[in-house]
Amino acid sequence: MTFRPASVVVNLGIVTALPGVLGEPIRFVLNWGRKYSLWVFNFGLACCAIEFIATSMARHDFMRLGVIPFAHGPRQADLMVVSGTVTDKMAPAIKRLYDQMPEPKYVISFGACSNCGGPYWDSYSVTKGVDQIVPVDVYVPGCPPRPEALLHGILRLQEKIAGEQAGIGGVSRPDLGAEAERRARRDVAALSAPPVRPPQE
Amino acid sequence: MTRELTIGTGAGLETSDMVLNIGPQHPSTHGVLRLKLVLDGERVVSCEPIVGYMHRGAEKLFEARDYRQIIVLANRHDWLSAFNNELGVVLAVERLMGLEVPERAVWLRTALAELNRVLNHLMFLGSYPLEIGAITPMFYAFRERETLQAVMEEASGGRMHYMFNRVGGLKEEVPAGWTKRARLAIDEVRRRMPDLDNIIRRNEIFMARTRGVGVLTPAEAAAFGASGPVARASGLDFDLRRDEPYLAYGELDVPVVTRTTGDCHARFECMLDQVYVSLDLAQACLDRVDQISGPVNVRLPKVVKAPEGHTYAWTENPLGINGYYLVSRGDRTPWRMKLRTASYANVQALTTLLPGTLVPDLIAILGSMFFVVGDIDK
Amino acid sequence: MNGVPGGGLAKGLAVTLKTMTKRAHTHQYPDVEPDLPPRSRGVIALLEENCTVCMLCARECPDWCIYIDSHKEEVVVPGAARPRQRNMLDRFAIDFSLCMYCGICIEACPFDALYWSPEFEYSEYDIRDLLHEKERLGEWMPTVPAPPAHDPNGEPAKEETSAAKKAAPPTPPAPSI
Repeated sequence: MTFRPASVVVNLGIVTALPGVLGEPIRFVLNWGRKYSLWVFNFGLACCAIEFIATSMARHDFMRLGVIPFAHGPRQADLMVVSGTVTDKMAPAIKRLYDQMPEPKYVISFGACSNCGGPYWDSYSVTKGVDQIVPVDVYVPGCPPRPEALLHGILRLQEKIAGEQAGIGGVSRPDLGAEAERRARRDVAALSAPPVRPPQE
Repeated sequence: MTRELTIGTGAGLETSDMVLNIGPQHPSTHGVLRLKLVLDGERVVSCEPIVGYMHRGAEKLFEARDYRQIIVLANRHDWLSAFNNELGVVLAVERLMGLEVPERAVWLRTALAELNRVLNHLMFLGSYPLEIGAITPMFYAFRERETLQAVMEEASGGRMHYMFNRVGGLKEEVPAGWTKRARLAIDEVRRRMPDLDNIIRRNEIFMARTRGVGVLTPAEAAAFGASGPVARASGLDFDLRRDEPYLAYGELDVPVVTRTTGDCHARFECMLDQVYVSLDLAQACLDRVDQISGPVNVRLPKVVKAPEGHTYAWTENPLGINGYYLVSRGDRTPWRMKLRTASYANVQALTTLLPGTLVPDLIAILGSMFFVVGDIDK
Repeated sequence: MNGVPGGGLAKGLAVTLKTMTKRAHTHQYPDVEPDLPPRSRGVIALLEENCTVCMLCARECPDWCIYIDSHKEEVVVPGAARPRQRNMLDRFAIDFSLCMYCGICIEACPFDALYWSPEFEYSEYDIRDLLHEKERLGEWMPTVPAPPAHDPNGEPAKEETSAAKKAAPPTPPAPSI
């Protein structure tokens, strides 16, 4: 097992097009701040949510890595961890909550179900991966992944954030590709009707 | 995801009911249960649990998988008691095939099932106070969980989904010295359980929130088909481990923890006391395992086919009675495998429990029904 | 309860104080590697030489996440009348984004080509990288731990019994006349 310190692996390819107002030191400071104060919003759906809770508890304690599990809702969160099976019925809610998160926002897909449907890949009611509705930054494999695997995923995410181009009003995501960008623009209405209808009066 | 809607009609003191959705993504729903409430001020007028946000079609998928592959899916519907779920499936298949499981496997299975029960209960013992506002017990509960999970992982290789049962026994023998380490872990948990117990059981705030709240009468519990700690807290003295023993429970003295008040506190206490009982049972099983030698599985043909017919096996899962109705047409896959899950029955009682309560009490009642959303929706 | 106001608070604080005197049981994961049991199901390693392309693992997998391609080759065996047909493995890939870590493939493999390794550090930025081809699966091989000994009360592992048979002194040859 090799662990690489987060600062070493900086993806320099992204850093080239920096706005003039922001120099390298500012970019570094901004990314450093973002990296170590990831307020996390747990989208606990199934088995993996239990392992997510285990990670947040004293034994593994991801607050050591600057991940803070006290976000009251998506509007206060920087990071969404989708842990568990995304069903077609639940997908609009995930999309809606993702849209409510402020930029810059990151998504970790935790476990086989949210990666691509996993054990339920041939089920009629399961979305084949959360990346069909929201862009995912880090995929953590496992079913469920052990808590250390989530910690590793968070470290990978922090490496990625460290290498990002920090812009005003969010971060461009050049690495996601046009397809993911197009998907990210799909709004909730496109996925289904709103879940709450006012009473007819 | 909550959205409220108030409609002001008329004038003066005339008010109209408000429809409030709790969930599907709400911390106190342990996942994705959605409750549609009609509120009159702070008071709940009616409640409708809307399930299906976690429906994964497991029963349909069973039909396309052979009996070994089913185990993989079966332990995932109630993710907190994976071992017990696997057990129900293999018991059903073994019954249909008329298989005799080696004695050592039976006792090992019983020990692991009880350890899994403790794991399940610890999760709720931590999360229920958390929902009411006491965050600390969660940390103690998870400390114990990690201790036991390490033992389970050593034997089976998985922390949550053990995949250790096979038709005809267990996957393989436990490692040398495992029973000793399991016993040490049990002792450690038993020694530290008073921490969790002291901190919450008689806490004034906790008592004030849960005493006399959400009283489920025995008649209602029976009518809804509630089982497990929820039913036993209402005074329904029913435990399959004692009343219709499977595995090695017939040779064990299984004390059944019951309460009579049927409120949230009684349900919580049932679960808390059950942990001690299960630890004792697991220990007794491990003692027997050490005295029995022999194989832990039956040698089966490469392709396992259940003969044509149907059978129903039920087990006392940590959350209540889980039933497995297996219909086989003699193929290597079942023709139909129907699950009767405990949470599904327990959650239905919410429709009678909630009307008339206050919204803050709603969370206390909801948490005390001890359900797993995957177990409701399958 | 019992009438003493603040009794619950005092009890809670007593537990907290008691715990404060002990060392935290946090595992410092990135700095300290976790101590994992050998049976831990982290990642599947492939020993390519042992694979005979029998496809059993791919067929038995509950979500069919193993991809195998092969071709047949004729091998001339000296002394044999006809050249023998042999399966050559072209591709062996496991999609770890789909894998449900049940271990059926490892159980099903009749030639011991697949092993569990407790490694878990392979999360990826791109889901396509979770498809491990045979080279990557082979890289996990050095991390595979030795299996734990079985409980002396139970049956020994199959490998042990077969090894013991091999190690046993061969039956003495029939005396020559």
